[in-house]
Amino acid sequence: MSTGTAGTDSPTGTGTGTSAPPGTGEGAAFPLPRHPRTYEVTQARVLRSEWHKLWSVRSTWITLLTASALTLAIGLTMGATYGTEGDDAGLDTVIMTLIGIQLAQIAYVVLGILVTAGEYGTGMVRASMTAVPRRLPALWAKAAVFAAVVLAVALATAFATFLGAQLFLAGTGQQASLGDPGIARGLAGNAVGLTLLGLLALGLGASTRSVPAAIGAVVGGVMILPEVLGMLPYDFVGNAVRYFPIRALDAVTSARPIPDAASPGAALLALALWAAGSLALAALTLRRRDV
Amino acid sequence: MATGLTKRYGDRTVVDDLTFTVGPGTVTGFLGPNGAGKSTTMRMLLGLDAPTRGRATIGGRPYAAHPAPLQEVGALLEARSVHPGRSAHDHLLALAHTHGIPRRRVDEVLELTGLSGVARRRVKGFSLGMGQRLGIAAALLGDPGTVILDEPVNGLDPEGVLWIRNLLKSLAAEGRTVFVSSHLMSEMALTADHLVIIGGGRLLADTSVTDFVRASGQDFVTVVTPQAARLRDLLAAPGVEIGSSGSAAAGARTSAEALAETLEIRGMDAAHIGRTAAAHSVPLFELTPRIASLEQAFMDLTRDAVEYRTSTALEGAKA
Repeated sequence: MSTGTAGTDSPTGTGTGTSAPPGTGEGAAFPLPRHPRTYEVTQARVLRSEWHKLWSVRSTWITLLTASALTLAIGLTMGATYGTEGDDAGLDTVIMTLIGIQLAQIAYVVLGILVTAGEYGTGMVRASMTAVPRRLPALWAKAAVFAAVVLAVALATAFATFLGAQLFLAGTGQQASLGDPGIARGLAGNAVGLTLLGLLALGLGASTRSVPAAIGAVVGGVMILPEVLGMLPYDFVGNAVRYFPIRALDAVTSARPIPDAASPGAALLALALWAAGSLALAALTLRRRDV
Repeated sequence: MATGLTKRYGDRTVVDDLTFTVGPGTVTGFLGPNGAGKSTTMRMLLGLDAPTRGRATIGGRPYAAHPAPLQEVGALLEARSVHPGRSAHDHLLALAHTHGIPRRRVDEVLELTGLSGVARRRVKGFSLGMGQRLGIAAALLGDPGTVILDEPVNGLDPEGVLWIRNLLKSLAAEGRTVFVSSHLMSEMALTADHLVIIGGGRLLADTSVTDFVRASGQDFVTVVTPQAARLRDLLAAPGVEIGSSGSAAAGARTSAEALAETLEIRGMDAAHIGRTAAAHSVPLFELTPRIASLEQAFMDLTRDAVEYRTSTALEGAKA
């Protein structure tokens, strides 16, 4: 790197001050190393950095494999143990096949929280924010990389689980193919819904800056609170709870419309708004608060 | 670099109207007792903390306004700003990617900091010294014109301390601006050319090390002589200050020794005193140059700051 013309002048004998960037032109009076090219922070480069960060820690592999394995294993078990005698006409095929996401979603949520709040726990955030002092590009890059990875994994997992389970379900009331109405939409909707739920958690991680606090917020506020509220005897509460993330996730996953639930389209919109709101809060926090 | 920089947390002022400039080609020591506001100032320079008032700029611009911040400034903050599960190589590569810094530069800084052998190991297993080296590798990644290091020698073994000392000097010799904080005056005396000293968040001194030593007025010569009064007259000159620390030790074996008096002479060197005494046949029992202790001067300065603040608070209460 140091191909600079080493001057013989005393380094202190110049009045250029700190404003001269290292190695500017031939006039630089002190022998700073020359750069073969000038670096610059761009959104694309920050994306690449976040991609590398995501895959260079074990927790990413562990959470994604856990989510996939749980969904697949529980789905296949459901298929293999499905009895022909019962009357399960009311049971939605996609919901039944992907029942494992009840557990798997926690793994995606934890990954989302680790991506943001995890950096505050380790101190990594200081290095990240020193490299990208404008801050927001780092948040967008985290969200984009996380969303792309979770969407791909959840999509592959949903379709694999469905196809695997169907090997056992031929001839039963739950026999279905990808071409049947709502099936492909439900499987894809589930992957998109999980991604949005993960983004909601990622945003909460960035806002709370603490892994335990963010996990508490998601488990308490996103998973348990709607169940409690749903038991209240007020219609308007029940109507509102339909659009809470977990209920909305069920609604986008189901191949057939669920009674007393939002339509898949409205549920998807609700999930997108939850994720957007969470990311907006995260952006505001990141801009305003000291690191 | 800092203009009227102020940081308040609630009603606690951590950094109070701090103004100073750090020049290139020298090592500038940033000194102050623990809690003086050094780290907060450095964090404001790097845009991690927003100042309550004032401006922190590097090369005329706020840190975040530079298109390639890591090329402008390399910083070592708290020892560990690393995910413990990531390898040193992966950590540096992730930072390098944000700027489009090539992979070979990552290998270069690993080589430079002596971490090549452990680059693929997870940071979790690193010793304190290795952690500091990784922090310095990250600081040098962008080949920056300015280097800001917060307490880089903290917790290092003697070999590590020596390594940092030499590194700082060579970085400055390359024309870079080196700004390094410490709460140890003795360490800065060996490394720094210039000092910015703060206490209680306020600027106490912005001076060269040489001037600081001179101004601290700690250099003096101890003389023990039985003819103290005569020597005083002989040495009297403008700028020469002669103090007495009383009669000689109680263990004096002869009457002459018992009569001897110990003088503390400032503003004249030992050679001159000895020659003058010899020329006038004044016997000297002892002639000892005492070198200023920077640590002492530093402690006096920071203690004064505390006293100053206390007395102004009292005056304020009276008024």
